[in-house]
Amino acid sequence: MKITLTVNGERHRVDVEPRRTLSDALREDLGLTGTHVGCEHGVCGACTVLVDGLPARACLMFAVQADDAEVATVEGLAADDGTLHPLQEAFSRCHGLQCGACTPGMLMTAAHLLETDPDPGRERIRAEMAGNICRCTGYVGIVDAVEDAARRSRSEATS
Amino acid sequence: MTPDDQHAPASGTSVRRKEDVRLLTGRGRFVSDLALPRMRHVAFVRSPVAHGRITGVDVAEALEVDGVSAVFTGEHPAIAPVALRAQSALPGYVETDQPPLARGKVRFAGEAVAAVVAADRYLAEDGAEAVVVDYDPLPPTVCAWVEPEHPVHDEAPDNVLLSRTFRAGDADAALAEAHVVVDRELTTNRHGGNPIECRAGVARYEDRRLTFWSGTQVPYIVRTQLAELLDLPEGNIRVIAPDVGGGFGVKAVLYPEDVALCLMAMAMPGVPLKWVEDRVEHLLAATHARDHRYVLRAGFAADGELLAVSADAWCNAGAYSVYPWTAGIEPLMAGGLLTGPYKLAHYTCTVRGVATNTSPSGPYRGVARPSTVFAMEALMDSGARALGMDPIALRRRNLILPADVPYRMPSRLVDDSGAYEACLDKAVATFDLDRWRAEQTRRRVEGGRPLGIGVGVYNELTGLGRAASAGPRMAFRTGHDACTVRINPDGAVTVFSGVTSQGQGLETTMAQVVADALGVDYDDVEVRYGDTDSSLWGFGAFSSRQAVISGGAAHLAGEHVRGQVLALAAALKEAPVEELDLRGGQIHMAGQEKPIISLAEVARVAYLQSDRLPEGFEPGLEGTRFYDPIRGAFAAGAQIAALEIDPATGEIGILDWVCVEDAGRIVHPVIVDGQIAGSIAQGIGGAMYEHLVYDDAGNLSTGTLLDYLMPTAGEIPELRIGHVSTPAANPTGVRGVGEGGTLAPNAVVAGAVADALGVEVDDLPVTPARVWELVQR
Repeated sequence: MKITLTVNGERHRVDVEPRRTLSDALREDLGLTGTHVGCEHGVCGACTVLVDGLPARACLMFAVQADDAEVATVEGLAADDGTLHPLQEAFSRCHGLQCGACTPGMLMTAAHLLETDPDPGRERIRAEMAGNICRCTGYVGIVDAVEDAARRSRSEATS
Repeated sequence: MTPDDQHAPASGTSVRRKEDVRLLTGRGRFVSDLALPRMRHVAFVRSPVAHGRITGVDVAEALEVDGVSAVFTGEHPAIAPVALRAQSALPGYVETDQPPLARGKVRFAGEAVAAVVAADRYLAEDGAEAVVVDYDPLPPTVCAWVEPEHPVHDEAPDNVLLSRTFRAGDADAALAEAHVVVDRELTTNRHGGNPIECRAGVARYEDRRLTFWSGTQVPYIVRTQLAELLDLPEGNIRVIAPDVGGGFGVKAVLYPEDVALCLMAMAMPGVPLKWVEDRVEHLLAATHARDHRYVLRAGFAADGELLAVSADAWCNAGAYSVYPWTAGIEPLMAGGLLTGPYKLAHYTCTVRGVATNTSPSGPYRGVARPSTVFAMEALMDSGARALGMDPIALRRRNLILPADVPYRMPSRLVDDSGAYEACLDKAVATFDLDRWRAEQTRRRVEGGRPLGIGVGVYNELTGLGRAASAGPRMAFRTGHDACTVRINPDGAVTVFSGVTSQGQGLETTMAQVVADALGVDYDDVEVRYGDTDSSLWGFGAFSSRQAVISGGAAHLAGEHVRGQVLALAAALKEAPVEELDLRGGQIHMAGQEKPIISLAEVARVAYLQSDRLPEGFEPGLEGTRFYDPIRGAFAAGAQIAALEIDPATGEIGILDWVCVEDAGRIVHPVIVDGQIAGSIAQGIGGAMYEHLVYDDAGNLSTGTLLDYLMPTAGEIPELRIGHVSTPAANPTGVRGVGEGGTLAPNAVVAGAVADALGVEVDDLPVTPARVWELVQR
């Protein structure tokens, strides 16, 4: 089936089988391998992307379901000149990543959280991030990073 | 700012990790991401039965599926001659073969029986569904402590692949003299590493050279073993482990699927073959661990002195002796480290590695010690109850102290730490034990959820040298790693390290060590690793060894090249070499602020201006050094936590969790704390949630992440991590830190639940259902 995928603002025409998952279309057809696949049954959250602004498991969605939708992936977070997104900076500063396999999904989940709640406390961060499994960090650095990015974004907004 | 401030050591500071930007922006280089011209994809056909004879494999229909180009079975001429055979000279060890694809019979549900090669993974799975395999079932055995109806391997009629007894002193006599004797019978739960990136490989064979991209923790071991198995010159094999999405031991194994992939690639020259494991396959067929049973007896004197331990242990080895580590990996570690940080003269412990019709057991972070620390701490808690002593006081009475080291453990391992009491003291103080005991008493009097306090003290044998090698009596002896430091013609530094990294940040750590040893800035050092064609040698990531051993090699190589640079600078500037210093990429005379020459200029002479090269100097600036710590560095740790129980649901709430470790000198504080936090989280997962359960027919009943529960940010509490720091006797003073955190949570959670409810917790994991049952007693 011929579909149009708009990913990070760029339009792509792709021809996919109906059974092709969005994660495979992103990774294999568009070469956007930043979106990782950890379980292929919707539990681990590594493949989380934003579809029309809402977090979605790209492994549980068919590519055809994203026809004409706006998809945001980790590749679109940093600015065009390479300046890291505040969350990316915070993840580095707070050691919110080790191997990097869960990181794209963590970042997209956190990006959506901060869009909807610029001042989540640690409890809210833990609850909202609980749909993404990290096997390396013990979550300490991830919670620190989301909290830190939120704080810095708020102080930038008020300064 | 003085020059010394500008060029402060990189070690000891949390510099930005060199890995971070590519991993944060989606530009990581994982094997799963690799795409090559003409590449085809592989799907394995896996056995649905746990034990059975293969009576027929029909691939005709699969070959008709669109896009399928080949189907391989165990009898295929490319596959049939090869078997993985984990070797050990341990007396009585029964060697057995593991075929790349099952031949004749299957020994566990999930074993690969055939492999389909197709244009993409979807088509390969279509092909796999069309392969028809007939089985004649045999009675399966899933438990390692029952008599098998039918052995897994004919060579081992009782399923016992190895058995060894550790002995020191006379345990029976000491038990007879003891003031109190306590008995415990414990089981620990099968679980596994589950890195977020599953196993992945791409094999390409062309011009008689094999390139194998693999998410492995041990690329050099893989190269050596592949050379032997595939009958190729080792120099014609290149193993590349680029960014790897977590390992935890699961990827320190050469798997039958890896070997099958390479054999198939050799049968299809010029066609790269890619296999990326999915999670269901991972749960079914990647190595499992920690399925153990312990029958224990300990004797204490009236003052609490631990007099004797007598133990029997059964470790479920699964269907095959894991390659190349052998079925000894868990039982030998269990027997060797059971006594942990406690002084003991009289010890007897018989350990067994027993084959069953389950996925093979292999290395998993902490190898056996999460189970043995649980066992030893259970004995301590039982001993304290029997003696009417405070459990922490009883532990303290028996710890190996600084005055005791080097301490020869009953298993003859030599402990160089002695920081256990310091870790325990600091953990108890940070935790504020008195406050939690008061709260516990208050709840007991006034009512409220039962509160329990659990403690675990442990030693972690890290950076194993040749004298304490991982996997004793195997065909190879782990101990050393190599590092090459090269100054480029522009004066920048490239390090070719033998490390592999699955998230531990070793690219960063090696750069810090070399920057300081050499005298250049961290930003001027680039590290290449995970490619057997670029770096000379490293045994890989296991036994918390790389910071110690590869770090030692990096330091020695950096120092060596620093010597080359200073010698050449001295000759060029006609200055006495002993008065020269290299810092921040500049060479200084003692006492002078202004540099006499830059490293860049020295490098230019060394490579490009041989006319300026003084007599007796070879061109180039490069050196390679090996390091072997011979014995290794024991790391100490203590964890203590307060848990509360909801008696209505059995749910456990973690109120506070403190860990103090002796990681020796610390190169990157944030990375070290990240290793500790991550390993505690995995330990908590194993203690409370993660359980791979087989039914009696050998079916894995926890085959997805909906059944196999890994903790999330919602379950793991805030962790309070502290340090004591006693530098180890190695070039950088570090102690390994990758595994220690996993060792205590079993003991801490079980101990705290026992403390809260006044019961004994004998079986793991401590799930709400199990807690609820204990509450009802």
